[in-house]
Amino acid sequence: MRPEIAGIAWSQRQKAMGFVLIGITLVIVPHLMPNNYWLRIYGMTGIYVMLALGLNVVAGFAGLLDLAYVAFFGIGGYLFAFFSSHHFDIHLPFPLVLPLSALVTMGFGFALGAVSLRLKGDYLAIVTLAFAQIFKLLLFNLDRPVNITGGVNGIFNFDPIEIFGFKIVSPIAYSYLIWFLALVVIIGSFRIKRSRFGRGWEAIREDELAAEAMGVNTTRMKLWAFAGGAFIAGASGTLFASFQDSVFPNSFDFQQLVVIYCMVILGGMGNIVGVTLGAILLSILPEFLREYGAYRMMFYGLILIVLMALRPQGLLGEIGFLTKKMKRPDKDETGVLKASTDLYYDVDSMKAPRKAGYSIDRRPILELNNVTMNFGGLVAVDHLSLTLREREILSVIGPNGAGKTTAFNLISGIYPPTSGKVLFEGTNITGLKPHQVVEIGIARTFQNLRLFNKMSVLDNAKVSQFCRTKSGPLSILLRLPRHRTEERETEKVAKEMLSLFGARLTGYRFDQGAMFLSYANRRRLEIARAMSTNAKLLMLDEPSAGMNPQETVEITEFIKALRDIYGYTILVIEHKLNVVKTISDRVIALDYGRKIAEGSYEEVASNKQVIEAYLGRKKN
Amino acid sequence: MIHGIRTFLYPACSGNDMDFYLQQLPQQLVNGLTLGGVYALIAIGYTMVYGILSMLNFAHGEIYMIGGFVGWWVLHLLIGESGPVLHVSLVISLMLIIAMGMTGLLGIAVERFAYRPLRKAPRMNLLLSALGVSIFLQNLVLHHQGAKARFFLVSSLIPESLRLFQVGEVVFSFMRILVIVVAFLLMTGLTFMIKRTKVGKAMRATAQDIEAASFMGIDVDRMIVFVFLIGSALGGAAGTLVGLLFTQVDYYVGFQAGLKGFTAAVLGGIGNIYGAMFGGILLGLLESIATTFFPATYKDVVAFVVLILVLIFRPWGLMGEKVPEKV
Repeated sequence: MRPEIAGIAWSQRQKAMGFVLIGITLVIVPHLMPNNYWLRIYGMTGIYVMLALGLNVVAGFAGLLDLAYVAFFGIGGYLFAFFSSHHFDIHLPFPLVLPLSALVTMGFGFALGAVSLRLKGDYLAIVTLAFAQIFKLLLFNLDRPVNITGGVNGIFNFDPIEIFGFKIVSPIAYSYLIWFLALVVIIGSFRIKRSRFGRGWEAIREDELAAEAMGVNTTRMKLWAFAGGAFIAGASGTLFASFQDSVFPNSFDFQQLVVIYCMVILGGMGNIVGVTLGAILLSILPEFLREYGAYRMMFYGLILIVLMALRPQGLLGEIGFLTKKMKRPDKDETGVLKASTDLYYDVDSMKAPRKAGYSIDRRPILELNNVTMNFGGLVAVDHLSLTLREREILSVIGPNGAGKTTAFNLISGIYPPTSGKVLFEGTNITGLKPHQVVEIGIARTFQNLRLFNKMSVLDNAKVSQFCRTKSGPLSILLRLPRHRTEERETEKVAKEMLSLFGARLTGYRFDQGAMFLSYANRRRLEIARAMSTNAKLLMLDEPSAGMNPQETVEITEFIKALRDIYGYTILVIEHKLNVVKTISDRVIALDYGRKIAEGSYEEVASNKQVIEAYLGRKKN
Repeated sequence: MIHGIRTFLYPACSGNDMDFYLQQLPQQLVNGLTLGGVYALIAIGYTMVYGILSMLNFAHGEIYMIGGFVGWWVLHLLIGESGPVLHVSLVISLMLIIAMGMTGLLGIAVERFAYRPLRKAPRMNLLLSALGVSIFLQNLVLHHQGAKARFFLVSSLIPESLRLFQVGEVVFSFMRILVIVVAFLLMTGLTFMIKRTKVGKAMRATAQDIEAASFMGIDVDRMIVFVFLIGSALGGAAGTLVGLLFTQVDYYVGFQAGLKGFTAAVLGGIGNIYGAMFGGILLGLLESIATTFFPATYKDVVAFVVLILVLIFRPWGLMGEKVPEKV
């Protein structure tokens, strides 16, 4: 696997050279600064790089609009002031204070995340903004009755810092320290982005519900995003406090927050190289425009407005030479499209005698016991009971609004049922969260396609391995063997499942964004994604919807193969009755949430109630 | 309980606190209604825009602030060396009308340049653009007017004898009553417009389903412009009223006021205009009652805590309806 930076595949050698180059630059640059003033700006730039990358974790990776971010920066700064000054007369050594305040700030990040977890989008933004305001009010007012924060004047005159015997006093020493840590943050960002954490966050950003339904513990991942951002902000705050030798409330106000947001947005949310460059640009540019200093904040406001209207992906987002070239091997040299329409299933095995068939002796996999869902008076599913046996395909049919999809949502844990029980392999799974349901072996597709559109085909499938992998942030950041093994396994499973669909989802398509796929291929990717969770039971919600007759035949055969060859148990909602007829071992029909018929296709299709449900009753 | 808290906070005056508090009650009610009227006017702007575009118009607070500045500017023009050049009622009316007109136009401009290009973009982009507008307007005013507060020369506008009057034990201030009356009139007018006029009907339809409304021949863009016009004008009126009440305005007042207005909108159930009115008045009352118990520096915390609690436990508000997410 080649390492990737901003979408370009780099060889090990290029990568090593890159690091050497960056190392040399960081050693030389501080000595090129004309005077102490520029050295300070150089140092501040490093702090801003860290800050922007921290915000990039929350807002860029996970898509959480956290407006309390600047408060974490402040907490980090004040913690340094508490632990290393005459203020409380505590003098801890810097190598202890830095991780300590980063960890404490991370704790605050967890707390904020826990409080605001249920909020989305605008609401999250406004609540975090309120928290930031409360934080600032506290900074201003906690100088009485006991002087904690020093009020408006803040706290100043801190202990000089010392790391393993080296005194860090001169601006050059600070530059080295700051930029070393900034480099650590940059590398850490890359590592986390290309891990189960990064994919989990990206999936949440794209479609939170789908992420949860593919086994991502969205609650925990959102907490980790807040905590990760807070950790970095806390560390930068500590450095900042020591660098400035003072902290006061105005360094951590709304304007500061807007500046950091501008850096992240200018570079492109989630784009690590971009955000780093954005931070550097916006730290240095104001120095050249100092005579226009009064317009500085107006300028930042304009950046936000103009970028959002014209280049929401950031200045550096999606620039041709930075993104991997999308080769189109489905075109020959003359540019004629040779789309792959070859069948992706193995025709011979289709002809093989069926290994499976419905038999009452089979072990039941899924059981529903009188499951009812009541949406404030509207009974969408009414005392539904069913049993699904191992390696069986059970089709659910019924007119629109019969409660088919609601039944799926109840099984997959999206809604907890009002009453009744769901059992999977004998264990009660009623009321489990969707990601827990995936973990025990049930995966689903969505009627209206909920792919992670901006993620690549391969990453879509990789997300599904989230619940099968356990690496924490430490093993990811340090690239411990466990993380490496899990990554290999994830890649293997994802590629294996995608290759079941032949050229449709493999080859150059691995790196293609899911949104560029054709409609039918997106349906296929949904199935591959569900399979990549290592599920035993697949729930397919209208797998052939929107497909043409040829594609319908293909998917029908494929679903049969899933049972016969790969041994899946399948629950499927389908409207095309010829598909139902071909694949089903059994069929149940729903109407107004109640089961009105159950049996073989022929039995159900000729059932009087079913015909009435579809066509209405004859007038007498 | 109440007594206990007061004794804890102000041990010095723990004598006949309950009596003192009861005496204060009518006064606090009037204060609460005044604040509440203002919050309600601001909240309407948030809730109308949210109802139609599902977006949080972050810049609304700045529009309120600019309304205050316009009001100050008109007053400044109309007050000569020796008092107002026109009758008091005319001066106040002119202040309100001009402030409302200018902020209404500003609202339209903001929509046109910052939000319309993003109509189909992800919500996060819209919010960030709104954040940009907010910071831009705030600093535009800072640059233009400076950081110092501008003072409303209310003393030369209204004769001393009129400023306060007493009914029984309670002292009423003319300005407070004015704010309550104006806010009430504006809200009644809005209610009438929404319920009884054709435009109101079109606006309600657009808020329910923007696409369906456009299929039924409603010019949706015009409705959106209209919503920004009305919402911003009401915000501007609130700015002027608060300026008259507290006699000053500065470039930073929009931030707090915006948060309060948003809190009021959420409290009532965002998207619901009557909810915004109700939420505003409730928040005003809550705040003014809370100031009798807590030190004034923490007054603003009350609103934030209300906001956080409502959003976490009842995000659809007191008068809104819970809508389950469609899968």
